Amino acid sequence: MSRELVVAGLSYRTAPVSVRERVAVKPDEVADVLERLAENVDLPEAVLVSTCNRVELIAATREPHVLADRLNQEFRDRSGSDEVDSCMYRHVGADAAEHLFRVSAGLDSMVLGEPQILGQVKTSFGQAQTLGTVGTLLQRCFDRAFKVAKRIRTETDVAAGNVSVSSIACELAEKIFGHLNDRKVLLIGAGEMSEVAARSLASRGARLAVINRNTKRAEELAATCNGVARPLEALATELADADVVISSTSKAGFVITQELMQSVCKLRRWRPLFVIDIAVPRDVDPRVDSLRNVFVYDMDDLGKVSRENLAARERALKDAEHILALELAEFERWRRSQQLTPTIVALRAHVRSTLRKELQKTLPKLSVADGDLKVLERMCDTMANQLLHAPLTELKRAGDDQTIVEHVQQLFQLETATDESGAKRPLEVAGVSSLPQLVAGQAQPRKA
Amino acid sequence: MGSIMTWTFIVSVTLYAVAVGSFFRQLFRGGNRPAFWAALSLGLGAVAHAAFVVAIVIHDGPSTFEQLHAILAAGSLLLTGIYLATMRRYRLTMLGAFITPVTMFMLLAAGIGARAAHVTSGVRSALLPFHIIVNTLGIVAFALAFAVAIAYMIQEQRLRQRELTGIFQRLPALDTLDSLGLRLTTIGFSLSTIGVLTGSLWVVRTGPGHVQFSPGQGFAILSWLFFATVLLFRAVAGWRGRRAAQGTVLGFLCAMAALVGYVTRGLGAS
Repeated sequence: MSRELVVAGLSYRTAPVSVRERVAVKPDEVADVLERLAENVDLPEAVLVSTCNRVELIAATREPHVLADRLNQEFRDRSGSDEVDSCMYRHVGADAAEHLFRVSAGLDSMVLGEPQILGQVKTSFGQAQTLGTVGTLLQRCFDRAFKVAKRIRTETDVAAGNVSVSSIACELAEKIFGHLNDRKVLLIGAGEMSEVAARSLASRGARLAVINRNTKRAEELAATCNGVARPLEALATELADADVVISSTSKAGFVITQELMQSVCKLRRWRPLFVIDIAVPRDVDPRVDSLRNVFVYDMDDLGKVSRENLAARERALKDAEHILALELAEFERWRRSQQLTPTIVALRAHVRSTLRKELQKTLPKLSVADGDLKVLERMCDTMANQLLHAPLTELKRAGDDQTIVEHVQQLFQLETATDESGAKRPLEVAGVSSLPQLVAGQAQPRKA
Repeated sequence: MGSIMTWTFIVSVTLYAVAVGSFFRQLFRGGNRPAFWAALSLGLGAVAHAAFVVAIVIHDGPSTFEQLHAILAAGSLLLTGIYLATMRRYRLTMLGAFITPVTMFMLLAAGIGARAAHVTSGVRSALLPFHIIVNTLGIVAFALAFAVAIAYMIQEQRLRQRELTGIFQRLPALDTLDSLGLRLTTIGFSLSTIGVLTGSLWVVRTGPGHVQFSPGQGFAILSWLFFATVLLFRAVAGWRGRRAAQGTVLGFLCAMAALVGYVTRGLGAS
């Protein structure tokens, strides 16, 4: 039996976070877990993906269900309960490949199309490569999965537009300023949501200044983001210097009025300013948005963007599914060809060997010059190719039909073996490597 | 040679039209395939366009660049060349949707004005080729600045209307467009200024009797004034973004009106 692709594990769709957090595998534990799973189970190829939303084993094995059971047992041991049993899923063969493609492309993510999962899968794959647990099948499967993810990302809108407030804020800031490196972000108030957005902007190279009524809190937050805390009195000066403003105070009334901003705009010579007002009630006078080169987004705007982005992603899902189906079919064709190739190679070798044996018998009765031997050798190969052309064409056409392949193997009494990657390969037919060797009496039958 | 010119002209205009369609399809619908077809048809169109320019030169000799149709043909080819060379490096692929129509328009004007009157020997001068070259380069820079300004206005409007999917995702960032627009306008204005100076000098040296004032020249001066205003207000009044983009668009439209004036005058003279 050839090796099958299998995916087994659990995800946010099947398991609550209380289960997921108990079975999660840290990077430094992966090697040990794989070693335990491989005890008495055929497991030459394996990649373990463990994120906050899923823990999955992607493997190539001759015993997919035994391996899935073993993984189930491992998860039971890690979580200390059999609660995991009902959370486990397993996919074998084409279903497994499809699942991996979906996961990599973010189609199985909690937020449709989110890109982080691709990076996480790539990291897990890289770790498996380092551990030496990636062979032909998984290499090909993951390469294809990454290609699918890239195509879906670039050719559809399934990953276009962010859906979380902090991501939208970053995306919009980048769409205004191009890059955020060395741009100045002013945080007015130190609410939790603005902190997340500020951290996200700071991680892209932006400089941070924090203004808060509670100076201590401002200093704490500034320290965590390599920023500076500024007094409330410096608001106008800081506004004149800022590129992005995130406001989230709990103050009643506007913190940034139209009059204030008008005077600030003159100071900043109408440089673009992006203001994110995530306070309720609002901190920024909505009329500020009508000022030249000032763009104000409040919670309603951000919510609208989020909903529209999500809706656009869902609309693009059909295109993504189409790409996925095409790539899956391509992968399956390759997988089937891997199963068919050994039979073709064996059949060709069988015919060539037969012809050469006959030639071997005939040669002593002929007086063949050295130069003619190569001609005879080529003739044998040409005859073999011509004889096999039609049958091989039919065999390739019937690649899906394993019965025909088996019939061919039986008819010609072909033997195949399995190589280290799990793919069948022909036993080398005892034969002669070259006719000159045969004539010189050096020919040795190759060992199978 | 005449038939080669006709065919290369038809082929290049057709391919540019395909490129325009593909660019707009990608702009509005997204996807990699339209971008591929746009780049391919634009590239092939540029090859046919280059053949058209070569055919003109072989047919009329190097002095053909004293004539408007040849200037337009060479200028639009230069515009396409600059765009093709920089689109990937600066991730400006989508600007093709605005640049290619301008290229096509200039090439069409070159085709229409192909029978424009020759420059008479009385007004020939060593300054003339220089005047023509700097003006052509100036128009190319203004055409690029125009494309950038249109993209800026679309992006800004989308941002104001909170429509952040589709085109918004595919066009470059506002600040990138604004600084690129400033750079291109400055280059175009410098070249255009040299063009105006050399043109004036040429008129003075040739003598007023040989050169008649035309609406085309009026629009050319108006265009120069628009760009001068844009740059001046950018420097002293903090004009950025939409206002600068609007000024650039108006300046370029005047430049195009000047071209139309020259082309129609040429047709009338033929």
